[in-house]
Amino acid sequence: MDLVLQLLFTGIGIGAVYALVALGFVLIFRATNVVNFAQGEFSMVAAYLMVVFSVDLGWPYWLSFLIALAGMALFGVIFNLGVYYPLRNRTYLPVIIATIGASILLSNSVLAIYGPQPQVLQGWFDTPGIQLGPVYLDSQYLLIIGVTILLVLFNFWFFEKTLLGKKLQATSQDKEMASLLGISVSTMIMITFIYSAVLGGLAGILVAPVLFVSIQMGSTIALKAFAATIIGGFGDVAGAIVGGLALGVIETFGAAYISVPYKDGFAFLVLIAFLVFRPQGIFGERVAEKA
Amino acid sequence: MKLTRREFSAGLAAGLAAPALMRSAWAQGATIKIGMCVPVTGPAAEQGLWAQNGAKLALAAVNKAGGVLGKQVELVIEDDQTTNPGIVLAFSKLAAQSDIVAFLGSIRSTQVQAMAPDVIKVGKPVMIGGTNPDLTHSGNPWLFRFRPNDNYSGRVIADFGVNTLGKKKWAIVHSTDAFGTAGGKALSEALTKLGAPPVLDQGYANQSQDFTPVVLAVKQSGADVLGTYFTFENDLGIFARQLRQLGVNIPWVGSPSVVAVSSTKLAGPALFNTYGVADFAEDSSDAAKAFGKAYRDAYKTAPDNQSAWPYDAITILSAAINKAGSTDPNKIRDAILATQKFAGAEGEYNFDKNGDGLHGYNVVKNDKGKIVYDKHIDFND
Repeated sequence: MDLVLQLLFTGIGIGAVYALVALGFVLIFRATNVVNFAQGEFSMVAAYLMVVFSVDLGWPYWLSFLIALAGMALFGVIFNLGVYYPLRNRTYLPVIIATIGASILLSNSVLAIYGPQPQVLQGWFDTPGIQLGPVYLDSQYLLIIGVTILLVLFNFWFFEKTLLGKKLQATSQDKEMASLLGISVSTMIMITFIYSAVLGGLAGILVAPVLFVSIQMGSTIALKAFAATIIGGFGDVAGAIVGGLALGVIETFGAAYISVPYKDGFAFLVLIAFLVFRPQGIFGERVAEKA
Repeated sequence: MKLTRREFSAGLAAGLAAPALMRSAWAQGATIKIGMCVPVTGPAAEQGLWAQNGAKLALAAVNKAGGVLGKQVELVIEDDQTTNPGIVLAFSKLAAQSDIVAFLGSIRSTQVQAMAPDVIKVGKPVMIGGTNPDLTHSGNPWLFRFRPNDNYSGRVIADFGVNTLGKKKWAIVHSTDAFGTAGGKALSEALTKLGAPPVLDQGYANQSQDFTPVVLAVKQSGADVLGTYFTFENDLGIFARQLRQLGVNIPWVGSPSVVAVSSTKLAGPALFNTYGVADFAEDSSDAAKAFGKAYRDAYKTAPDNQSAWPYDAITILSAAINKAGSTDPNKIRDAILATQKFAGAEGEYNFDKNGDGLHGYNVVKNDKGKIVYDKHIDFND
């Protein structure tokens, strides 16, 4: 039983990271109908910003955190203007290729500036974790889980209760209609990119103390997050969260009880099962119903 | 003057070929070229940088001492991307340059294995750092190893743990790539020979983000000592932290990555008091100390095995070509195999018929973040 609880905690912790990145995927997909393959690099860039401010410049952690997130907002603007905006009237394919290109450019730029050595980033708390009975709770994972819960609530409030959220929803559902109603579609898409960059950055900063800051930290997480969005139902916010958490728990238990070397296999086995038996994901609508 | 068609064709051909001929003649005349496949990008880009540092340090020394066969030596670097297809591509690019006389391959066994068939086809000497014993025991005459192979690391880990620490209940954790699998097998066999077969033999896939299931397996096995073969330092860092967090504090004797510079930095206190076998230990010999000083002076950071083996490889290869008096691959091969009692940064090289230069390991300890030399264990067979 102790074992199960310990595995459950870790599974949810790592799953929450997948969920945060998956959320970024989903928001951009809803707004633009393309998958942003540079989403993982958003996390990586933010983690490196943290290293710049908090480690290299020695600024206080909270200040570095705020500056890094603000930097990510700016980064979202640049990304939108540089990668999406010039191609917005083309089909989805050039945009997807452009995001892949951006992903390669970003990781190699960071490599050129920072070199290949992984960096250490301290966690938010001084205590590494707490022992709760038989279960050890890593403080950074606790923080990640807490932030994920807050974000779920925030997203619900933002998209369902605020005018801006509703405008964003309208844009993602039907751009022409939204535009006819006086909503500035390009502003809405800009806001989506900013929000996704900040979310991805938040995931990167939160997970960096656990996985270390490295060039490939984003891509490993993004692959799982992508699987999580498909499991949850592509384009569904709740689906991304549930898909991420489910994936984290499944692979952790699969590793513990079936096979450690095939840990990544379980995640993708679940993905394949969903693609075959329920391609619309847990929360997705059936494609036929949309027509 | 009237040009016949034949004269015109001949002239055209000569005109086209001349620059190429001149270039190759000039190239052959100017320098001796050594190709190096090394990760510039990918997960091992960090170690790749150190490997280049080590090779360049040796190169500078060789060139300062007059070079090879009276010419300066030049290093041609090609990125292997830390992948198997990457190194095959990198090696074929280098092999296409006919004026390259010998090569440095990878420190990763998986990648050496990937390039090995092409090495036989090319038929020129390739210096390697991969420690999977099979690499030099599969009838490939062109691979020369500048680190002790895992038969020795497994035996040294087992010998040290059983005879020096007096521990008999072993848990083995290893990567499932070629390096980790071979290492885990060698350790398991060595332990069985010493009468202490492992109670747990646990593989894991590289670039895992979480090691909780592995740590819990170690905990449940009731082992009183841990032996590991980790390939990547960030995996090792995550594992080490989670191991301590979940309360496993048994003695730990691991493969060289446990005592590597970046692991020590990443894992911090989680690796205190661990033992590692290290092919390179700065205090193990005068040659190692000299290399350590030169490396620190040049790069302002501590050296480790990632930079030490390319350093030795360039030094011994250059000496061998000089001794052979020619760049003929067979003559270079004979000269490398004839290298005996050569004091290198990694230890004393005594090449055997398989192309293995070293036959033992140092045991070092992480003493509060500082790597200190403990003892050297050598085998004669």
